[in-house]
Amino acid sequence: MDPTRVAGLRRRGVKMSTVTLDKITKIYPNGFQAITELSLTLEEGEFLVLVGPSGCGKSTALRMIAGLEDISSGDLYVGDRWLNDVQPKDRDIAMVFQSYALYPQMTVAENIGFPLKLRKISRKERQEQVWQAAEILELTEQLDKKPAQLSGGQRQRVAMGRAIVRRPALFLMDEPLSNLDAKLRVQMRADIAGIQRELGVTTFYVTHDQVEAMTMGDRVAVIKDGILQQAAAPEALYDNPDNVFVAAFIGSPSMNLYEATLSEVGGHYQLQLGDQSLAVPEQILASRPALRDYLDQPVVVGIRPEDLEDAAVASDHPNDQRLDAEVAVREALGAETLVHFSIAAPSVDSGDPDALDELGDEDVSRCTARFSAATRTRVGDRIRVNVSTEKLHFFDRRTHLAIRT
Amino acid sequence: MRRSSTLSRIGLHATMLVLVVWSILPFIWTFQTSIKFTRDVAAKKPVLWGYETTANAYRAFWLDEDDINMWSVLVYILVVAVICLILGQIGRRVRHSWPWFTAAVGVIFVALWRFPKVWEVNDEYDFLVNSIVVTVLTMLISLSIGLLAGYGLARYTGISGAVILIVALGFRALPRTAFVLPYFFGAKEIDDWLASSGVGSWDFPLIDFPGIDTLQILDTRLAIVLALVAVNQPFTIWMFRSFFIEVPKEIEEAAMMDGATRLQAFRRVIIPMMWPAIIATGLFTMLLAYNEYLFVRVLAPTEWTLPVAIVSLTGGESSRTITEAAAASVSITLPIVVVIILFQKHLVKGLGAGAVKG
Repeated sequence: MDPTRVAGLRRRGVKMSTVTLDKITKIYPNGFQAITELSLTLEEGEFLVLVGPSGCGKSTALRMIAGLEDISSGDLYVGDRWLNDVQPKDRDIAMVFQSYALYPQMTVAENIGFPLKLRKISRKERQEQVWQAAEILELTEQLDKKPAQLSGGQRQRVAMGRAIVRRPALFLMDEPLSNLDAKLRVQMRADIAGIQRELGVTTFYVTHDQVEAMTMGDRVAVIKDGILQQAAAPEALYDNPDNVFVAAFIGSPSMNLYEATLSEVGGHYQLQLGDQSLAVPEQILASRPALRDYLDQPVVVGIRPEDLEDAAVASDHPNDQRLDAEVAVREALGAETLVHFSIAAPSVDSGDPDALDELGDEDVSRCTARFSAATRTRVGDRIRVNVSTEKLHFFDRRTHLAIRT
Repeated sequence: MRRSSTLSRIGLHATMLVLVVWSILPFIWTFQTSIKFTRDVAAKKPVLWGYETTANAYRAFWLDEDDINMWSVLVYILVVAVICLILGQIGRRVRHSWPWFTAAVGVIFVALWRFPKVWEVNDEYDFLVNSIVVTVLTMLISLSIGLLAGYGLARYTGISGAVILIVALGFRALPRTAFVLPYFFGAKEIDDWLASSGVGSWDFPLIDFPGIDTLQILDTRLAIVLALVAVNQPFTIWMFRSFFIEVPKEIEEAAMMDGATRLQAFRRVIIPMMWPAIIATGLFTMLLAYNEYLFVRVLAPTEWTLPVAIVSLTGGESSRTITEAAAASVSITLPIVVVIILFQKHLVKGLGAGAVKG
């Protein structure tokens, strides 16, 4: 966050805290290791999204920061305070739960004011602060209602209100939008991100939805099986994934991943993708010298759906950077058209447990392309597909790590 | 279609009518008997209507004087009842209800305490007091233990928790008669030890109640309360556990994140959500303690509660005691009927699942 803004927020009484997770590990009594040496640092006022498939330990990480789970090893700091053994109530951390966890017997005002009441803040001051929070969240009309009388979105905002009214050092949010319907989710996504930027409170947000992660976070940390895969700004994560899992997990539709072989034929490089070959321009290898070590060996190649285009639409593409395909499914989305076809190359398992299994023959893989709406392809058409070879991603076949240098 | 649905509705209503008559008729019969003169009760051909009414039976059961206008007693009771109802209704509507409910309890207490000073009462009045003391104490102890144990067992999912629950259920399934003699002998052993060791006749400043010279367990209200709490505990624990399980764990965690200790979270967030459960479980416990016969009869040979007092009246053959027993039965039943009518909404809610879903 920009230093002048930090200073401004500090003047307004916002506690701008850094949060440091240093090799935090969680091992359950039954021996299951949920989190392995998670190290992350949140800057003052940063919005960090921890994203991963279901069961990857992201909620456990959040609950350890909250103090609802013990930290097996490693250190947790908020600012300069070491929090490992501090009770949840003394951590100065507010949390928004997936189920909202509103107190059903209390009105909205009482729900929001409850943290203040526990801090023995006078009734008058409490009412004032509850009113301020309610104004930010547009809940002033609802203050006297009970949670049962509210809609899902309103309940969600009450849960937010209970968190922001305290002006804590850190917000924790555990999939706060997953119980809302799709339209409301899009709106609340923007609302929460806006409120967070306005308040300037450091926020740790957990979700399984990569769209939420990309749109809301200043920085996104991808976690799988309790191990941090990559933490970077959304664009960096999208353009330069560190490994196959991140590449496949971030982005929708997912990146297409195949085993392919790069070889040099008569001074020109070409990528053998099943029974088809793509010409690879010299500069790709120039920018990734390490790729030369992989010549004539299978590598994992990744193609983003938007890096594929119908040759009939963009006809000035080099002819040797095209693939043949037969359209299997066509989804017209209006602004763009998704086209699915198969490629005769082995697919690669990214390790995402939520992803659909590849069907049928293991040497034939699906491919999803994002064509411009101008495409006229129909199901069953044999088409040529342009590949933007300069945007190909290469990974080691064994380690699944990106080949970038 | 239409015809069969009409028919089935008639059938349904007829069945309900039969069931209602079936359950209400004994009460009507008892009430009639309680306000009849002996000659009408003893008549060979039952006198169903047009008889002369009297409150003699009530007077004979409760009071030790013959020439008291029973209307004054009725007015006394009604005034107390109306004051309590008003206080209770205010208490339900205001923000801080505790003072009002406490006041209602206080009014009942004062009324019970003043009654023997206004009218000469029989032993049966002591039995009424015994009944109330036993019922209230059993409720308070059972609910306190049940709330804490039910909460613990709902949150703790280890194997020992399951063992405790199953053992509790097993004891609940055993008949009352299996416990009563062990309790009796146990209490007797303790009393013998108290007497032989001399501890029973020590001067304890706090237990130095007037009229109690020696400390003992048998034949005291304490014995009845202890026994009732023991047999009722499985029920309250299971009941509360099932309610606590429906309270999402996140609500407690949210309270803890909001700055509450575990105890504060329990007291200020969970307990207020549990009121329907507390009222329902409390009512069931109340019925159990108030209606108990066997334990009282065996563990307290002279410190009776009202059910035992009634039975002592039906043992005789004379018709005078029949009207008295009927009067006793009616006056014992009425307070319970009033309480059940006031709280029946909660009773039904307590039995239905999902009462506390957030």
